[in-house]
Amino acid sequence: MPPKSKAAPKPKGADSSKQPTLTPSTSNTTPAVPATVAARSQLRYDDSRPHDAARLKAGLTGLPRDEQAAWISARFARTPAARTRLPPKAQRELWRQVNEASLPVRALRGGTKGSSWGRDRNGLDVGGYSVERFDEREARRARLTCLEVASRGFRERRERERKGLRDPATGEAVFVSEGEVDAERVRRGEMADLRRELYGTVQGSFALDPEWDDVIPIPQDEPEAALAAIAYPADYDEAISYLRAVMLKKEYSQRCLRLTETIIEMNPAHYTVWLYRASNVFALKLPIADELEWLNQVAFANLKNYQIWHHRHLLVDNLYPALAEKPDELARFAAAERDFLTQILVQDTKNYHVWSYRSYLVGKLGVWGSPEELKSIEGLIDDDVRNNSAWSHRFFLVFSDPAHTTPGLVATEPDPAVPQDITSREVEYAKEKISLAPQNQSPWNYLKGVLVKGRQKLSSVEEFTGGFVKGLGNKDGSEDVQSTHALDLLAEIYAEKGDKEKADLCLRRLGEKWDRIRVGYWEWRRKCLEEA
Amino acid sequence: MSEKSKTLPKELQLVASAHVKYIQSLDTRKDEYEYWLTEHLRLNGLYWGLTALHLLGHPEALPRTETIDFVLSCQHENGGFGAAPGHDAHMLSTVSAVQILAMIDAFDDLEARGKGKAQVGKYIANLQNRQTGTFAGDEWGEEDTRFLYGAFNALSLLGLLDLVDVDKAVDHVVACANFDGGYGVSPGAESHAGQIFTCVAALTIAGRKNLVDADRLGKWLSERQIAGGGLNGRPEKKEDVCYSWWVLSSLEMIGKTHWIDRDQLIAFILRCQDPENGGISDRPGDMVDVWHTLFGLTGLSLLEYPGLEPVDEVYCLPKSTTERILGK
Repeated sequence: MPPKSKAAPKPKGADSSKQPTLTPSTSNTTPAVPATVAARSQLRYDDSRPHDAARLKAGLTGLPRDEQAAWISARFARTPAARTRLPPKAQRELWRQVNEASLPVRALRGGTKGSSWGRDRNGLDVGGYSVERFDEREARRARLTCLEVASRGFRERRERERKGLRDPATGEAVFVSEGEVDAERVRRGEMADLRRELYGTVQGSFALDPEWDDVIPIPQDEPEAALAAIAYPADYDEAISYLRAVMLKKEYSQRCLRLTETIIEMNPAHYTVWLYRASNVFALKLPIADELEWLNQVAFANLKNYQIWHHRHLLVDNLYPALAEKPDELARFAAAERDFLTQILVQDTKNYHVWSYRSYLVGKLGVWGSPEELKSIEGLIDDDVRNNSAWSHRFFLVFSDPAHTTPGLVATEPDPAVPQDITSREVEYAKEKISLAPQNQSPWNYLKGVLVKGRQKLSSVEEFTGGFVKGLGNKDGSEDVQSTHALDLLAEIYAEKGDKEKADLCLRRLGEKWDRIRVGYWEWRRKCLEEA
Repeated sequence: MSEKSKTLPKELQLVASAHVKYIQSLDTRKDEYEYWLTEHLRLNGLYWGLTALHLLGHPEALPRTETIDFVLSCQHENGGFGAAPGHDAHMLSTVSAVQILAMIDAFDDLEARGKGKAQVGKYIANLQNRQTGTFAGDEWGEEDTRFLYGAFNALSLLGLLDLVDVDKAVDHVVACANFDGGYGVSPGAESHAGQIFTCVAALTIAGRKNLVDADRLGKWLSERQIAGGGLNGRPEKKEDVCYSWWVLSSLEMIGKTHWIDRDQLIAFILRCQDPENGGISDRPGDMVDVWHTLFGLTGLSLLEYPGLEPVDEVYCLPKSTTERILGK
């Protein structure tokens, strides 16, 4: 213990806010106010070691005598181990000199080589901050710490409430109110902002939501060096991790429903999330009408997605038993679905999933004979006579209608149950549409299909078909074929009537000129004709 | 067949090595948004890429051990495979898994380290609805002839086709036949080339190809070729390279491949390549992807384009694989 001196040594750093004390002949040329906190620390360091800088520059022997003595004394003053070697008289002399020169008794440790200030969110050294900016930063950090403490308090209360424990301070049962949860939500928002400002960390919205505290997300677990390893954007990854967790424990709740909606928004093609959503809807017994309303919007936004239609399928399957008992409601539902399908087909007239759902719906609700359904399809064909999906659906409507067809027959089989007037009606319809655009596959396929179903001979439409082919085989340029499909059917008609020569002419001209790309097929037909 | 390629303009050739590089690069595309959005297709994607590599004559281009490890990591206790680790089991990814293991001759690993062939067979068989003969994709019950075909494909490769009611399934396929000669996804649904492939291939595997009206179907299929040489999937739709598989393999199965114009189709497929970076797209100028790359190559293989391994038109696997396993 050094003997008490008359003048107490200056506490280190006490004058940091004022001008730094410059001991005599220090070789520091520090400015009056440090530009950065790093410079300020350097200043404080140098202050506590008044002659260090000079000594480093000149060496001990290079210093003037009084500075030498001062440096040595200062070193003794701050190094108790060294002092113990001095005899008491020398120690008294030492302290006399220390007090006279007001040398610091303690010195700051560490150098300023390399920064220990850390880096901010932009990667810049915090040591390069001005004092003012640094103080601002420190204030934010202090605020973040306070918030963290409060947040921890909230989580503890939540835990206590969950476990049924009592508040240690008041001895009462713990109840976490909505207000507290809201406050926590706000708090976490502020914490996330601060963390982002200070450290650049970005936090997922689920981690911020107190509603999800009890769920531990399950991150993607892939084998080492997975063959097809990928890095996910953080939001999506987080949401999927939460999905895994709740699916594992088979939770069905409003928050899970919202979770599925979030994921569907980010990736509507994700197969499993749709199935899980359906589970939630059914488990919570939510009104199917509401879910359909939501689904309609998603369908418009994602026309190429097929999960949407399977989801709809599941919903209708679930809804049907209730509808089946009330014919009025069933009719209303059918009409509402038809409206929606019409709207969505405007966007994508041939969407296979939509049409596939439509035929399921017709079968499920039993509306084959519905004039509205037929009219709706006719409308689509009016819009685009080449819409093969619409033609296909019409065939299904007419020739699978249990009211006038034999159940269990395949589409290609003739059906004695089909009334003559229906067959005629369909033939006329096909002819009408063919006339609008003769080079159009769909109505020709339809026509043939109807004739087979209705057990009519192909030659019953010979005159009509022949109208699209003029001057066949003429070499003077008067040969005119308005429709290759007509020419094809004509060949079949002639074959049916036994006129091989005419049939062969049709086929030959198709392969030679009118449909050259399919010459392989036409030649095969000619060969079959020959062999028949 | 080399005379065929001579009729093509010189710059229109198959850029095989670019395609190999493209496929190899697929598992490194971590920064591509589209890649993580299709996580639920990952095992399928692996099958598409690997088959393409085999057809290009580079089966070693993806590391065999890692492939097996990855595939097995997708397997569940019930024997089924998910699309990626942690994904629920599904018929489609299970079929892809079986096809991959068949290609790289790893059924032994399935026995030793996986849940074994029998368990896989059981998973698939359980997805059949014994009343209707149809197959669901998973326990949720969506039914589609794709799943029926997939089941037949995988089970026959595993030698376990007798686990299912083949006759009932065949009846269902027949019920999907349409008035225009094609097949749809379910009875009454519109004829679609993709569905046609699954129906005809399923009937072929079941030994019931005779139930197909080959003439009528062949005609419908031949009409898929449009002026540009490419094939579409339904009347009045746009051409798309993937129909080079669905339509062409169906034609091949019923023996009517010569009913389309081969040169024009070859030219179309080659125009859909990205000659610099590799890969094939749905039509010329669009973005490439591994699905269209595979089906462009299978189309070219069926058309006997030089330099490609022959593809099995029923299984969409290299013929060398199906010959080895089925002794065809």
